[in-house]
Amino acid sequence: MSKKYLTRGALLLVMSVLVVFWLIPLVTTFLTALKTSQEAAATFPWQLPQGFALPENIVWAWNNGKLGQSFLRSILYAGLGAAFAIAMASLAAYALVQLRPKGAFIWFLLIYSGTIFPFQMYLLPLFFMYQKTSLYDSQVGMVLFYTAIAIPFCLFVLRNHFTTIEYEIVEAAQLDGLSNFGIYLRIYMPLSVAAIAALFLFQFTWIWNDLLFGITLSKSPDVRPIMAGLAGLRGTYAAQNIPGVLAGALLASVPTILIFVALGRYLLRGMTLTTSGE
Amino acid sequence: MELNIPARQQRVKVARHSWWRRTEPYAYMLPAILFVAIFLLYPAVYTLYVSFTDWDGLTAPEFIGLENYLQMFKEPVFGTSVVNTIIWVVATLLFPVGLGLLLAVFVNRIPLQEFFKAIFYLPYAISATSIAVIWTYMLAPTGVVNEVLKMVGLGTLAKPWLLMPPWNTITMLMAFTWQTTGTNMILFLVGLQSIPPDLIEAAKLDGANAFQTFRRVILPLLRPITTVVVTIAVVNSFKVFDLIWIMTQGGPFRSSETLAVTMYRESFVSFRLGFGASIANFLSLIVILFSIMYLRSIFKPEE
Repeated sequence: MSKKYLTRGALLLVMSVLVVFWLIPLVTTFLTALKTSQEAAATFPWQLPQGFALPENIVWAWNNGKLGQSFLRSILYAGLGAAFAIAMASLAAYALVQLRPKGAFIWFLLIYSGTIFPFQMYLLPLFFMYQKTSLYDSQVGMVLFYTAIAIPFCLFVLRNHFTTIEYEIVEAAQLDGLSNFGIYLRIYMPLSVAAIAALFLFQFTWIWNDLLFGITLSKSPDVRPIMAGLAGLRGTYAAQNIPGVLAGALLASVPTILIFVALGRYLLRGMTLTTSGE
Repeated sequence: MELNIPARQQRVKVARHSWWRRTEPYAYMLPAILFVAIFLLYPAVYTLYVSFTDWDGLTAPEFIGLENYLQMFKEPVFGTSVVNTIIWVVATLLFPVGLGLLLAVFVNRIPLQEFFKAIFYLPYAISATSIAVIWTYMLAPTGVVNEVLKMVGLGTLAKPWLLMPPWNTITMLMAFTWQTTGTNMILFLVGLQSIPPDLIEAAKLDGANAFQTFRRVILPLLRPITTVVVTIAVVNSFKVFDLIWIMTQGGPFRSSETLAVTMYRESFVSFRLGFGASIANFLSLIVILFSIMYLRSIFKPEE
């Protein structure tokens, strides 16, 4: 018995040391973001700040670092992209599951095949396609692309979810004279609210975190999404204002951390979903 | 589908709506198909085509057959890139996956599980770009890592980590480990907690020590989840871009590029589009091969 407690104590000790190491990057980043840039240059990263410069640093990143525009744009891109993708994917999933057209599985594979390639496969043609059509460096172009890239995974999840809807409910609705579209809108969608909410936040997070397509398809501060903006901020000011850049990095993570805190468990389930999906 | 509707009524319905009945499902699928076809599938096919051409983006692409693919093996940068990619994959298996398993085994045996899970999982809530910015600061010449080394009397080890190969790749792997270990740990923990405790008790009664129990009982039972974690980790390690692009841009002197970064640099910095496209295809081929191996291992019939 005492040996058991001994190993348990030893494990706790090891894990606690690891936790300290794991927290160092976040704690020092946070402490530095609380300092003025002169103070940050003159003190050790783990020294407590004298004042509270975080608000100034955030305002600086938002305005001078032009992160504010990107932040607002990304809310638009991630919100609309996820919503449009869910709307289209749910309609397609409904058709596949309920209306069962000929070759349903082939159509499913066609849409789902959008997930198998590494993103590098899309970059070049997209870039030139966007330049030719004036979608390059435009808000519309960003929303359109983020919608498209989110569709295959949404279809996968919603198709799985829709197969769990009981046929008796659908049958009753048909007897009541509901059209196919009515069944989609009044039966399938309301019965999937929880799954759709989780899916929305999952896709929102993905779009929010995207860097690759942001830097490829946009360049001006009032179009580029948040991570492209953060990359630009760091590239320009890394040497001059470290606390400002770090405040920007923290600011860019606020929405995803909020989603993480609110939805910890669901995200985990979402992760296992992605895992089984790829 | 409409078994309960009286035959006559159904016939009228069918006649009136037969065109729409056949078209309706396709109408519902059309928007999704169009979006995916225009923004994903067409570009993927076009990239395949471009890889067989010489193209600078200004003039028309010129067909040159397999030239780009042969060129890959002649360029030292490509060799460096392949070696770095392999290092990323192997290191991913050792650290985010191996460490994740170890942490899961530890956490499974101690109190305060939720606390430990939350701490290790926390970096996952932060974007790769933010993590790259944070770790660039950690690893800067006067950053946290060097200051800590100086404080504990190991100042001679301090160096500009991101400017010196192979330390740039090694330290970026540290950042990647910090970012992804928590998710693997949690997946392994799910697997561990689904193992019936009496199996482990039985092994102990038979006189197996902790290590033997782990080797002979726990590890085999974890196999399904291990397959999932390993494949996802390997596929993701091939695709790492954000971390490297922000921390070193693949430098200095292209020493820390992986295939994903080389593709981007050749295409959008050097504008050797055909060559960039051929690297994209090479990368896709590898990733798809791994995905197929994975799918086969999942759908393999029970023995």
